[in-house]
Amino acid sequence: MKGRLLLLQVATPVLAIFFGMLIASVMILAIGRNPIDVYAVMVRFSLTRTDSLFSILFKTTPLIFAGLAVAMSFRASLFNIGVEGQYYIGAFCAALVGFGLRGLPAVVHLPLALLAAAGGGMVWALVPIALKLRRGAHEVITTIMMNYIASALLLYLINDVFRDPTQIGTPRVRTPVVAPAARVPSMGPLLAPLGLHGSDVEKLNLLLPLGIAVAVVLAYFLSRTRFGYEVRAVAFNPLAAEAAGIPNARVQFGMFMLSAGIAGLVGLNDILGFFGYLDIDFPKGLGFLGISVALLAKNNPLGVIPAALLFGFLDRGAAGVQFFARVPKEIIVILQAIIILAIVVAYELLTRYVRTQRKREAELVVTATPAAETAGS
Amino acid sequence: MEYVASLFSVALIASAIRVTMPILLASLGAVYTERGGVVNIGLEGIMIMGTFFGAVGAYLFDAQFPQLAQGWPDLAPLAGVLTAMAAGLLFGLIHALVTVTFRVDQIISGVALNLLAGGLARFLNILLFERATQSPGVRGFTPIDIPLLRDVPALRPLVTGVSPMIVVGLLLVIASQWVLTRTRFGLRLRAVGEYPLAADTLGVNVYRLRYAGVLLSGALAGMAGAYLAIEQAHLYFEGMTQGRGFIALAAMIFGNWWPAGALGASALFGYFDALSLRVVRLPVPYQFISVLPHIVTILVLAGFVRRARMPAADGVPYTKEEE
Repeated sequence: MKGRLLLLQVATPVLAIFFGMLIASVMILAIGRNPIDVYAVMVRFSLTRTDSLFSILFKTTPLIFAGLAVAMSFRASLFNIGVEGQYYIGAFCAALVGFGLRGLPAVVHLPLALLAAAGGGMVWALVPIALKLRRGAHEVITTIMMNYIASALLLYLINDVFRDPTQIGTPRVRTPVVAPAARVPSMGPLLAPLGLHGSDVEKLNLLLPLGIAVAVVLAYFLSRTRFGYEVRAVAFNPLAAEAAGIPNARVQFGMFMLSAGIAGLVGLNDILGFFGYLDIDFPKGLGFLGISVALLAKNNPLGVIPAALLFGFLDRGAAGVQFFARVPKEIIVILQAIIILAIVVAYELLTRYVRTQRKREAELVVTATPAAETAGS
Repeated sequence: MEYVASLFSVALIASAIRVTMPILLASLGAVYTERGGVVNIGLEGIMIMGTFFGAVGAYLFDAQFPQLAQGWPDLAPLAGVLTAMAAGLLFGLIHALVTVTFRVDQIISGVALNLLAGGLARFLNILLFERATQSPGVRGFTPIDIPLLRDVPALRPLVTGVSPMIVVGLLLVIASQWVLTRTRFGLRLRAVGEYPLAADTLGVNVYRLRYAGVLLSGALAGMAGAYLAIEQAHLYFEGMTQGRGFIALAAMIFGNWWPAGALGASALFGYFDALSLRVVRLPVPYQFISVLPHIVTILVLAGFVRRARMPAADGVPYTKEEE
């Protein structure tokens, strides 16, 4: 039973991904292309070129942070749909610290920028979580509203307050460039001795190992520490946890802040790792992708890494499909949405299956035991 | 003083009535689905589908049947509205299937629908119009004057040259209020949302009624989107819903899960929406005016305006006993 259960747990997401591909295939067929060719182009373009592989890793980096952020809120029975807005604010705070301070050594400046980003994300999450715990306002809608407000605020800050004065008169609306000491170092020099070169290799920066490290730390934290135990207790049975002296509100607040702090780091891969400034057209939508990543990973911090890799691969594949197979890259967004629906349905069916199996086994044990007793006596 | 006067101008109020409509239609949908016990965060996505398919339906009808469209100019927008409602029904069906039949988390299903809608609209827009974010222009319904009311001089600017969909929307409020308080369907739907086990024991089909509630919300949110594209903007463009589907949910909560309440709440949001759309001369940067409806939504949800009571079994999947 145990081995089969493990197999089923691995097979479930795989089946869901296949189901998503099946539906996407129908759409590809409907526009008169051959789905097998399209998927072949996607795989060949994404997995057989060095630049693609590194581009996937670059795309994976923010998705690890976004997936972890969403997963941490889910673990505390909260929906942080506000990762999107929290990383806008985090990215801005990091940029502000980056271009606002000069002359600091990198060992001070970069950690300061990272802290500012995490802090910005947390501040943005304060309103929804306070209203949730104090007034019962559902965090899904309030965090979504905070996303819109963050977007408008950012527009105002970049356009009206902190616009790079040297860019006025050009169509470029962005902040000044951050100090070199606040930039996240590239992994290029580390990879060069391995014979890996090129702009996509250089783009890869130390946030990727940091993201993986955060995932490992969180996995340890949730499974081996006291607070992690409290989190599991609250999620499993809030009433029992409260009765056992674990304050639900404190645990939920802590996890939401953790979620928002990680969310604040999502945008840094592009801002501090690549561009070096915050442009009005900086990459958006990563927070929503984080929801998909967390669901696929079943909120397991270590599972977030392969899930983020899959979405990184899909993103790169989308570019290939658009360019070489002339299928709009939005097919991948559709694929992602169907994967989410398929995966939650599949996990639900798995849970039901396991439940009925356990029941049957329990019944077997019950009927078997008296017989054994009589045989022994 | 000038600011204050501009906050209550007739033009602003007329505009507020117009922009209230999409929020109202979607929040009526929200009332049906949540009265049946299913939370539908996917209303935003369904509304996006409504804007897209509304424009597509109206545009294609014009292009395919030019003679009919010439003779009866209201046919093309009507085709748009019906297409949008059909798309909304389809999305509602997905949500019902996933949440009622498979009993998956309702929030997650809604989030996936919103993602799906965004991707699908872009994908189909590229295929149909060879660009990602915008449809060609479409014609709206012929504006009408409301009989009787148009003879009252004070109301004239508000009741002449209005969209017939506004009249339909207001009639839907009355009809929905009647359905939920006076009809067998409405009472059973509410029973299913309050205490599904009791309803089930009495032989009411809980699943079928929940399907009905979700499907109605899909059709109404689709219609809300169609209004935005056909009557307000006269085209579809990406991001035109601006979170109105979520705001509609807040309006439903503020309206205490009643159609008449939803009307009042939608009007409040509509007013702030109109403020953000019109050039009201306020000494505040534009970006902050534009998020007024979103800020009001947060305040409403926090219960700073009023405390509300939701249906007891809202958001809780129902499992029949024998399983």
